[in-house]
Formats: sequence, structure tokens, C-alpha cells
Amino acid sequence: MADFLQLLISGLATGAIYALAAIGFTLLWQTSQTINFAQGEFVMLPAFFALVAMTWLGLPFAVAVVIAIVCSMLVLGLMFKVVVVQPLIKQGVLPLVISTIALSVLLKEGVKDVYSAEAQPFPTLFPDVTLSVAGVAVSLAQVGVLVVAFGTIVALQWFLGATRIGRQMQATAQNPTVARILGVPVERMILYTFLINAVLAAMASILISPIYLAKFSNGESLGLAAFVAAIVGGFNQVRGAIVGGLLIGVVDNLAAAYVSTSYRQAVPLILLVAIILFRPQGLLGRREERAV
Amino acid sequence: MGADTILTLDNVVSGYGKMTILNGTTAAIRRAAITTVIGPNGAGKSTMFKTVFGLLGARTGRITFDGADTTRCTPRQMLDRGMCYVPQGRNIFPELSVRHNLELGGVAMPDQSRLGARIEAMMARFPILREKAAAQASTLSGGQQKLLEVARGLLLDPKLMLIDEPSIGLSPLMVQEVFAILKDLRDKGVTILLIEQNAKQALEMSDYGLVLEQGQARIEDAAGNVLSDPRIAQLFLGGGLAPAQQVA
Ligand SMILES: Nc1ncnc2c1ncn2[C@@H]1O[C@H](COP(=O)(O)OP(=O)(O)O)[C@@H](O)[C@H]1O
Ligand SMILES: [Mg+2]
Repeated sequence: MADFLQLLISGLATGAIYALAAIGFTLLWQTSQTINFAQGEFVMLPAFFALVAMTWLGLPFAVAVVIAIVCSMLVLGLMFKVVVVQPLIKQGVLPLVISTIALSVLLKEGVKDVYSAEAQPFPTLFPDVTLSVAGVAVSLAQVGVLVVAFGTIVALQWFLGATRIGRQMQATAQNPTVARILGVPVERMILYTFLINAVLAAMASILISPIYLAKFSNGESLGLAAFVAAIVGGFNQVRGAIVGGLLIGVVDNLAAAYVSTSYRQAVPLILLVAIILFRPQGLLGRREERAV
Repeated sequence: MGADTILTLDNVVSGYGKMTILNGTTAAIRRAAITTVIGPNGAGKSTMFKTVFGLLGARTGRITFDGADTTRCTPRQMLDRGMCYVPQGRNIFPELSVRHNLELGGVAMPDQSRLGARIEAMMARFPILREKAAAQASTLSGGQQKLLEVARGLLLDPKLMLIDEPSIGLSPLMVQEVFAILKDLRDKGVTILLIEQNAKQALEMSDYGLVLEQGQARIEDAAGNVLSDPRIAQLFLGGGLAPAQQVA
């Protein structure tokens, strides 16, 4: 039982990180019909922004984290929207899909050539202490990850639901034409979504890199986890992405412990197939219906 | 064009991609009156609304609203000038509350401090919206959703409302209610430009009728005259209005 609880906590911790990436993925889809196949690389890259700031510029970790977030907003948010998505979205979904796949290769190879092909140790935000709570060994680092990831999700949900700008973003996601008819500055709302996605990716990057080390190829499994989490959750729902992310994190951890680590990579795919077979609209999804 | 004209289209051409839908549409819409646009499916009625509101650019021709040239205006600029648009179909934000749906109608309000009062005014006018203010908008019935859309459009206190087939999918009772609201708005000085499939019922409560066919205004007259025009029956029975232009 104690083992199970430990696995559950570590599963929730990685799951919360997947959820961050999956939420961003979902938001991009909702507001701009962008399916970002480079989302995994978006989570891989910010750690290297921080590493560059620390090792090349000699800056302290805390400053490097801020730099990583700001650079992500500029490169993965603003530049991605203006240079890649904006010119291509008019051509339909497919050219954009192909471009994001190309972008994922570019980012991966770029990091490998410019920084390193080796996995890099990455500092953690939290002390490496293990507490014993009622017989269960609880890693403070994992609890820290959980708290920061959930804090970020709660803050985002609050922003989307409780502020006027957030509700204009939701309106843009739910029906962009009607939003425009009411005078919502739709283009600006879409830009905000891209910036939020970049921040979420940077948060996920900084939380996951101490666990998996920072490596150019990390995006492959992260992207898959985020993609499957979004689909499992229904693809068109932020709540769904949260549930999907947590589910994959937990199932992944339990499968590694109780079944076999060698099947671990297959877990998201098995979940994906199961969902597509039994509940194609996703766990919390609704069918798309759109007028105008 | 008389002084009581609020909206004019002069030889307006627009469409989608290479397809031309509005093909030299010319019309003058009277102020503080209900004008119903009728015409066969695909005639370009909805396209006319999208073009007037700036969702779709006019390729050539000229549109004026309230004395100003608005041919190149964006939807936001049309809102600022006092026009609102309630499109065909369901146009609520299903996962936002009724109150927040209503509030979004006020995005373009110049004085945001008035927003609360305007929302209150709309809820006073449509009590069902107050009753359901906190509910998700998707829980409203079809008719209630239409009321919400109308209330949302009225939030900015527009001079003219474009409303496209509001009666589709509504019960006869609800249609009566929506039409009564439009008449009441007209009596308060708001201009209503309405598209309706149910031509007879709509023309009966309208002041003017406008018949659109193949992207051109064929008949523009008092609603009673349009209703009794023998060409109307012919039009809706399938035959065209302008034999000279028909291609065998
Ligand atoms: N978004 C669009 N893209 C391409 N064609 C369209 C679009 N909307 C309407 N059309 C076409 O334009 C024509 C006129 O449509 P519309 O203005 O909606 O007609 P109406 O409202 O009179 O029934 C139709 O042939 C329709 O298929
Ligand atoms: Mg139509």
C-alpha cells in the first residue's frame, strides 16, 4: 500500500507536467486550429535556454529560469505564431501540421548541434529531501512539482474564467466568428494563447528536466504524452487535458512498477487505442458543433 | 435616397474566393422600420449581411450606414457605429454562463463603467436571462438561446440590428415572441433588417420587403405590396424573376 501511494504521488507529479503540455496543446487547437506536433520539443527547449544562461553567461539558476520563460514566450510564443502559424493557417490544417513536424526536427537537431548531444543534469527548484509521512516515503521534490504544476493550472483556470480577457479567450476558442462579431479582438486573443502555451511549456520543461535530465531528444516521449493526454481528455477541453495528463502519468508509473519498464513507452499508445475504441470523443470531450 | 434611409447598398459585389455571390446589389433600408429580406435558398441573403457588417469584404460598390461610407469597415467599426449582427444558427458560447455570454456583447462598449447597468437592463427586459444567469448557456432551450443572442446584440444599444433567420428551429409560440420583440424594438426607433424563410409571416409584421435573387435586389417595396406581388409566388415555386437572365 505504501509502495502504491509513493507510485501514485510520483505518477501524479509527472502527470501534472504532462497536463501542462497537454493544456497548451489543447488551447492552441481550440483558438487557432493549430495541431502542434512540435509540442514535445517546446517542452524540451526551455531547459536549454536556462542552461545557456547558466553555463555560458554564468547567471544564477533563478535568473536563468526567468530568462527561459521570457525566451520561450518570444521564440515559442510570438515567433511561432507570426513566422510559422500565421502564414500557413490560411492554407488549411495539413500544411501547418507538416511544418510543425519539420519544426520539431529543427529544434531537436538545433539543440544537439548547438549545445550538446549528451543528457545534461539540470538543477531542481526543490530540496532533495524525503520525508516519511505515516510510513510513506514522500519526496519533497515530487510534492514540489505537484504543487507548482497544480498552482500553474489553477492560476490559468482562474485567469480564463474570472477575468474579462480570459473569457474573451474562451469565447474565441468556442466560436471565433461570433467573438469577432461581438468585437472581441480575436487575433490578440490568439496571440495570448500562444504566449500562454509557451509559458506552460517552459514551466513543464523546468519541472521535468531535473527528473529526466535535459536532452535534445526528450521531446519525442513528452510530445507523445501531451498529444495522447489531450486526446484522452477530449482534445477540446482544458479540463480534459488535465485529467488526461494525470491519468497517463499515473498509469505510466504503475505500469513501470507492476508490469515492466520495457512496456512503459507503450502505455500512452495503449491508452490512446482504448480511448479511440471505446470513447472517441474523449473522457470529457463534447462533439464539435459550430454554426456560422 | 431619402432622409429616412439608414443603410444603402450601391452596386455591391462580394463573394467567397473566386465565387461571386452578391452581384451588384442595390438597396436602401429605411430607418426605424422592419425590412424583411426574402429570397430562395442560396440567393445571397446571409452573404449580404456578412458584407454589410464587414465580415466579408465588398469587391466593388459602396455601402453607407447612418450617413457615412462603411464599405471598408471591420465588424468592430460597424459595432462602434451602431450596428449589431445576430447570425443564423446557434451563436452562443455554450460553456460560458448566460451572464458571461451577455457580458461579451459589451466588449466594444466605449464606456465600460456602463456595462453592469446595461447587463441589468437586459436582464430586466428578459427575465429568463436573470433566472438562468449563472447557468451554462448550453442549458438554455433553443428559443432562450435566441433571446440571449438578441439581448447580447442590444447591449450596445444599436441603431440597426441585422438578424438572420431567427425563427429557425423555434416553436411557433417562440417565433411569435421573437417577432414581438423585433416590433417593440422598431417602435423604440431601432431599425431591423431581418432575413426570414417564412416569408408570409415575416412580411405580415414588417414595414418593407426586399426580394433578393441571384445576388440582386429584384423587388423593394412596402411589405404589403411585396406580399401581394404575383411574382413572389412564382419565385418561391421555383421560376426565376428575371427571365432575360435565365440560362436554359
Ligand atoms: N463561407 C462560404 N464559403 C463559400 N461559399 C459560401 C459560403 N457561405 C455561403 N456560400 C455560398 O454562397 C451562396 C449564397 O449563400 P447565402 O448567402 O448563405 O445564401 P442565403 O442566405 O440566401 O440562403 C450559396 O451558394 C452558398 O453555398
Ligand atoms: Mg442564409
